[in-house]
Amino acid sequence: MKHTFKKGGIHPGSFKTASPDIELLPLPMTATVLLSQHIGRPANPTVQKGDKVCRGMVIAENSAYISASVHAPISGTVASIDDVVLPNGKNGRAIIIKAAPEEHEADTAARNSYWSDTIPAVLSRDLSESLTADEIRTRIERAGIVGLGGATFPSHVKIDLKPTQKVDTLIINGCECEPYLRCDDAIMRSCPGYIAEGIELIMKAASISRAVVAVEDNKPQAIEAMRGALDSMHNISVMSLKTKYPQGGEKQLIEAVTDRRVASGALPVSTGVIVQNVATAFAVWQAVATGQPLIERVVTITGDIPAEQRRNYIAAIGTPLSDFPFSLPDEARAIVGGPMMGKTAVCLDAPITKGTSGLTVLSGKGRRPVQPCIRCGACSDVCPMGLDPYLLATYGRLRMFDEAAKADVADCIECGSCSWSCPSSRPILDFIRVAKQRSRK
Amino acid sequence: MNLIICSVLVLGIIGFAGALMLYATARRFHVDEDPRIDRIASVLPGANCGGCGLKGCRDFATRCVEQGSLKGLHCPVSSAENTSAIASILGVTAETAVRRIAVLHCNGSCQARPETYVYDGALTCAIMDATGVGTRGCSYGCLGCGDCVAVCKFGAISIDPATKLPVVDTDKCTACGACVNECPRHIIELRPSGRLDRRVWVACSNRERGAVARKTCKAACIGCSKCVKTCPFGAVEVNHNLSYINPDLCKTCGKCVASCPTGAILTSFTIPAKTATES
Amino acid sequence: MTQIIFSPSPHIHTARTTGGIMRHVLVALAPAVICALWFFGIDALWVLVTSVISCIATEWLITRFMLRRAASLSDCSAILTGVLLALTLPSSLPLWMVAAGGIIAIGIAKMAFGGLGCNIFNPALVGRVFLLISFPVAMTTWPLPIGRFATADGTTGATILSQLKTGIANSCALDLPAMFAGDMGGSIGEVSTGALLLGFVYLLVLKIIKWHIPVSIVAGLVLVDLMAGFPPLPDILSGGLLLGAVFMATDYVTSPMTNRGMLLYGLMIGIITAVIRRWGSYPEGISFAILIMNGATPLINRYMHNTRFSGRRKEATA
Repeated sequence: MKHTFKKGGIHPGSFKTASPDIELLPLPMTATVLLSQHIGRPANPTVQKGDKVCRGMVIAENSAYISASVHAPISGTVASIDDVVLPNGKNGRAIIIKAAPEEHEADTAARNSYWSDTIPAVLSRDLSESLTADEIRTRIERAGIVGLGGATFPSHVKIDLKPTQKVDTLIINGCECEPYLRCDDAIMRSCPGYIAEGIELIMKAASISRAVVAVEDNKPQAIEAMRGALDSMHNISVMSLKTKYPQGGEKQLIEAVTDRRVASGALPVSTGVIVQNVATAFAVWQAVATGQPLIERVVTITGDIPAEQRRNYIAAIGTPLSDFPFSLPDEARAIVGGPMMGKTAVCLDAPITKGTSGLTVLSGKGRRPVQPCIRCGACSDVCPMGLDPYLLATYGRLRMFDEAAKADVADCIECGSCSWSCPSSRPILDFIRVAKQRSRK
Repeated sequence: MNLIICSVLVLGIIGFAGALMLYATARRFHVDEDPRIDRIASVLPGANCGGCGLKGCRDFATRCVEQGSLKGLHCPVSSAENTSAIASILGVTAETAVRRIAVLHCNGSCQARPETYVYDGALTCAIMDATGVGTRGCSYGCLGCGDCVAVCKFGAISIDPATKLPVVDTDKCTACGACVNECPRHIIELRPSGRLDRRVWVACSNRERGAVARKTCKAACIGCSKCVKTCPFGAVEVNHNLSYINPDLCKTCGKCVASCPTGAILTSFTIPAKTATES
Repeated sequence: MTQIIFSPSPHIHTARTTGGIMRHVLVALAPAVICALWFFGIDALWVLVTSVISCIATEWLITRFMLRRAASLSDCSAILTGVLLALTLPSSLPLWMVAAGGIIAIGIAKMAFGGLGCNIFNPALVGRVFLLISFPVAMTTWPLPIGRFATADGTTGATILSQLKTGIANSCALDLPAMFAGDMGGSIGEVSTGALLLGFVYLLVLKIIKWHIPVSIVAGLVLVDLMAGFPPLPDILSGGLLLGAVFMATDYVTSPMTNRGMLLYGLMIGIITAVIRRWGSYPEGISFAILIMNGATPLINRYMHNTRFSGRRKEATA
């Protein structure tokens, strides 16, 4: 009997048709680096307009405890620090770096040799012994690493445990339960050894004795690869989980792996578990072993586009979405992230951020005409948090926000299972979001 | 005959017993209430709009009586006569409040701001705003789904089919403020209705630089400050590339209207042709 | 020029639709309908057709001329109501009565409450109970099965339930296999237990319904039977119990949303049915039992919430 979380969940199909290989996307000539790419306070710029920056240099530093620093993804000159358009069309502050052709060339050469020579050369197994926990944590903080699964919570904060917090398990999240996306699968298949070292580093930094790599069973090659790399490490195991959405949700994953449940309103760490994404583990290894901060990440381009365009790229943070080679269908929804929780982009000139795991292009409108609720209870059945989505949506629609708060609307993780499963195509999650937002005030 | 008497008697006894029970319960559960609460509640509009910030008209009345004065309590819907009636029930004198009207700080009609994106989701402003910029590409202006229409208890707001923007019926608007609280973009303001119902306001909320604002909407305020220079009373100021007319200083002369290059300043009255031709 | 669409997540949806669910239920009813035609012949067909047509026509007329909105026939719910209503009627019922039942079912029980999803009571059952109370003689005159799609020869008799009730039959001497197949008097759709179970399995496999309601109804019935000292098997096989338990009580709109609620609802239906059968004046009580519990469904929904992920609900802070 394979493990999975018990309550609710759906099977939206995997659609993981992107090629599992990873290739380098050319560096952009202009990089737009947002100051707020993480949960918490936006970073403070440390450069000014006209400053020369080189690739990997800190250009904005963390401004509060929950914040992360931001680095220059390319060498060049700071063209401006200004409001730019985000994928959703709204504005956000960013540092815009423009590269001269020779800088671009030098960067490209350095990057190519980094991926082809440096990375394979520095794989050694004693890093976690030669460094102290504080040193590792400082390096993670300096590298500006955040949770790469999409939540973008600063990693150094997550592993900075208070003496009262007892943590015995580190879960490395390789579920990638979102349909279509394949970046975590690709990383696990191509770089299992580095991930293993990254896991050891995180374990050392947070002094955790046991780690579990959790992968859904629809990625057998990734499981195989991780098992091979973790062969000699007896305190790190790979757990194959029964595929079910939203298994990658922190609370669901903790339950699936350890059978512990996070109490309503409590932090996941209260159960003695820390969850980090596989891509985060890889980024940690990169930062500690090679000194490269988080200036690149793996991005999946997938969806209703020609098969040869569905690929995984290593792309510099700040690369515009339009730099990726893909063609849009006539009526397109360009979703930043996966189709269940991703947000549609209207402005494709907007840059990718640390949290951009992929771009899913779907064609046409996704919704059928709304029909009356027939009270089939499908939404309640699939809700992984055990809420009553039909009720919360009604509260949201009728502006009964106090009642929604009493019905635990704050527990909603916005996974979208309710809207997905509704046979009457009702916008359940849309109205729950309204209720959640407004009842918080 | 016997049967009739029997039925009448039985039913009569049942009725009497029921009446006794009703009387006993009414006595047992009787709550003493200040009669002034009922009297005030009868004067109040009774729409329970929540414009006063309380749960409804009865709550307002209860609070008035508890407090013994109208201090800090204001029913935006009640007319001046009704407010003074409430005050006289309480035995105090009412201060006169200025009548206010909801105005929309956006003039992004279909012509000024064509629809660039298609929206596929529940048609409410709250959801559309949380999803993105809106169908017309402006992240500040009206989304046009009519959440304000839905919350208006007095039917004072309607969507103009030609411009797809909400229109406020000044006769029906009671300045209860429900639309102001509801609008996710916070572009509705309650402004004093002004002398002779004359109001002048900037119908734009775009804080972008002029060129960017102009690109999204032809009717946008570009923050050029011409209105500031034109205004003889110093009522206009520009902050974050956006002009704002202070209603307390504005004398509704309408000079700024003519000076605005994008026509972002609207009035509730027609400006005499002389002023208009001056530009 | 690419048209960019923006929409809130999730961006993909299940393939299952309301109309699809209704069509699956219709497919699940097919064995029962075929059995009915086999046993009761052409009369049953006329009842079925009349019922469906009257339901569809009523819904169309009301949406078109009274509510003035687009007709909602594509969700197939009116057809389903028509078929279900027909299955609860005796095949000898005059067709105008059938049509009246359909009009009441859709017009009063469904559209008057606001249409699909808004009704409190199961429309088909309201139609049936209306007919049962208005025309008790016609509604309790049961033609005996004749078989082979033949035309009726007019033989009528009592159902096994009323025979049991009046003491004509002894429950130990019943031909249970024949009852399972449906070779007994009764309303069109209730006689063939086997066909109904086939439909039940179909709905379970496709996850259209859950086991909770039908199983708990049978459990409730058996419970009362055992306590009162009756053999439960004839009780399950006879009358409209399975038709009601599988197709009527599980109606989404009028049944509770959560599993716990469903179990309570089903158990109560079973108990009320048994009580009416044993001690009430009607030989059959499933339709009344379901309607009574339909009325209690909002209350069950109110108090039996989904179980929260993190255990018990927090007490609401005032």
